[in-house]
Parts: sequence; C-alpha cells; structure tokens
Amino acid sequence: MVTRTWQWTQTAEPGYKVTVTNPTDAELVESCLAGRREAFDLIVERHRRHVYQLCYRFVGNHEDASDLAQDVFVRAFRALKNFKGRASIGTWLYRIAVNVSLNRVTAKTPRPESLDVLLLASDERVASEAESPAEALLRGERARRVRNAIARLPKKQRTTLVLRVYHELPHEEIAGILGSSVGAVKANFFHALNNLRKLLREDL
Amino acid sequence: MKHLAPEEFVDAAEGRLPVARAGHLETCEACREQVETIAGMLRDVSAADLPEPSPLFWDHFSSRVHAAVAHEEIRARRTWGWTGARILAPLAVMALVVAVVAGSLLPRLVRTPAAPVPAATTADVPSLDTEIGVDPDNVEVWAVLTAAAADMGIDEAHAAGLGVRPTTVDRAVQRLSKDELAELGRLLQSELKRSGD
Repeated sequence: MVTRTWQWTQTAEPGYKVTVTNPTDAELVESCLAGRREAFDLIVERHRRHVYQLCYRFVGNHEDASDLAQDVFVRAFRALKNFKGRASIGTWLYRIAVNVSLNRVTAKTPRPESLDVLLLASDERVASEAESPAEALLRGERARRVRNAIARLPKKQRTTLVLRVYHELPHEEIAGILGSSVGAVKANFFHALNNLRKLLREDL
Repeated sequence: MKHLAPEEFVDAAEGRLPVARAGHLETCEACREQVETIAGMLRDVSAADLPEPSPLFWDHFSSRVHAAVAHEEIRARRTWGWTGARILAPLAVMALVVAVVAGSLLPRLVRTPAAPVPAATTADVPSLDTEIGVDPDNVEVWAVLTAAAADMGIDEAHAAGLGVRPTTVDRAVQRLSKDELAELGRLLQSELKRSGD
C-alpha cells in the first residue's frame, strides 16, 4: 500500500503562512469550508475504502456499492457546513452511508451476490502458500454464504452487525448512528448473531 | 441467580462481562453454551471478508467523486441563481405595481376630504381634473404610500373605488428612464415566463 504525505501551505493570519503536514480531519473540514476543494479530495482518499466497504455490505455488489459510496461523498460535501464536529468525520460519513444504503436497500430488493469480474475476490485469492487453492475456494464460498445471510437480516440488526464486526465501531458510536441506546444496540447485535446462525443452517 | 440478558451475552462474548455477572457463567451451563455459540458466530462472521476491488479502482473512484462534487458546486450555484430569480422577480414586480398604484392613488387620497370642508375654503380645493403631484424625492411620502398599499391587492383597490385612471399607467411608464424601462421589460418578461411554467 502506498502512503502519501500531504503537505500544504495555508494563510493563518494576514502576513503569516503555516505549513500543514498530514492535516487532521478537523483541519481538512475547516479547509474545505474555506473553499479548498483539494481538502475534500483528501477526505475522500482517507475514507473511501471504509465507506465503499460499508455500502458493499448492504448491497452486495461492486457496481451499486461504488455508486452509493460516491453518493455518500457528494451528500457529505453538500452537508459539510452542517458538520458540527461532535463525532469524528469517519463516524459522520458512516451515518450518511448507513442512511443512503438503507434507503437503497428499501427501494430496491438486494440482488444476490454475483461473481464480479472487476473484483479480485480476496476471499478467493490464495492468501498464502499454506492455503491450497481448494481451501481458498472453500473459504471464499463460506464468506459468500455469510454475506448473503447478513443481507437477509432485518435492517437494524444488519447495520449493527456490520458496524460492529467489520468496522469495529464501539457500541456507543453505533448507538449514536442509529439513534438508539447502547443496550438496544447490544440486544440487536445478540439477535443478529442468533438469526444469522439460523439462516446459515437453513442455507445448508 | 438470573440468566444473562441479551446485552450481557454480547459483553461475555466480547470478554467484557462485569465480574459480578461472570460468576453466574461458572454455575450456569445454559448461559455458558449460549455465550460459546455467540462467540463462535462472531468468529465466523469476522472471517467473511469482502471481495477487494482492483487497485486501479480507487483512483478512478476518487476522480468520479471529484467530478461529481464539481458538478454539485455548479448545480448549487445554478439552483441559487434560479431560486433567487424566482424570489426576487415577483418581489420586484410587486414593488413596481405598488409604486404605480400608489402613484396613481395619492392624488385621489389627497383630494378625498377627511371632514366636511367649510364653504369658505372650497375655492382652495383643486378641481378633479387637476392632478396633485407627489414629490418623487420625498422619501417619507413614499414610505407611507408603500406601507399603506403593501397589503392591498389591485382587485381590492378597485372594489374600494380606488381605480387607476386609464392614462395614469401610460404616463407613469412614459416618465421612466431608459434603464427603468429596460428593467420593467425584463421583469415583465420573466413574470410571463414564470406564469407559463
């Protein structure tokens, strides 16, 4: 993976210039609001992967996930002036992504995951020399079954499970995103795991 | 002791169950089994990673977002321009109508006697054919007129007998400067377009 160091000069006070190296998200938001479009490009670069993956977990295919992720960033840009900074920008983007994805899932019946030729299916790659192609295939198939079962969970359970397991958000942050209590989030998570177990058994 | 609640099963599976409740697990096999099931499901679910897009996808994605945001900026500016025009044009037309109506009403209002006029002073009252002009530079008079006419529609004014004489509007238009005429034409055209939507 290529790691880039970002640096730019901005005017802090008349006559003074400050060089910012690897600006924080808060600094980037401030720069965006001051009209620096490249700051938003950097926000996109930092968060695009997580936003895309979250959308993918809801829609189950690359094409819709990339469209949704793009929509998330456009909406974020539009609403940036309303970003209060109480949560991190990552959490804020997750909130937008959850809303956008749930709206899409409600409007459109999710299609079962298909083989996507554009993707290098990581779960079908030979991960290491220790894993045979047959084992990799089996692991890939298992992952696909789990993803399809997750797609059949009720919306709140699915959202909770995805944010907790794949994005490792604390229960408190998930509660903030869903507008529920921490207890409700944990109960949702419990039911999600139990229901998933039943769905996977049915699928056998 | 009470069995674990759903949220406590989650805490137990994540290794965060308070010590006070952890004691229950040692004695309750049913709860222990449930915790193991939940923990096993967590492991299975965590292992289900996603297909990874091509490395080329990310740069392409960033370019797409960049273009979409640029388009969004243009759209926002256009929307504001159109919204602004939609708000300001009717206001401007209303202001013009108010000005014209007020201009034509003032002479009548001034002519209308507030109380019976003593005979001795009737000679001083101008005849109906005489138009009493309004000093166009008198800001206070215009403020009073605008305030008085602000809530009054043309139909209402007609019903109250405050009609505009046929020649008044023509004369008002004739008095407009070249720039004012151009602006009036533009406003009327935009109003016509708007009403045709």
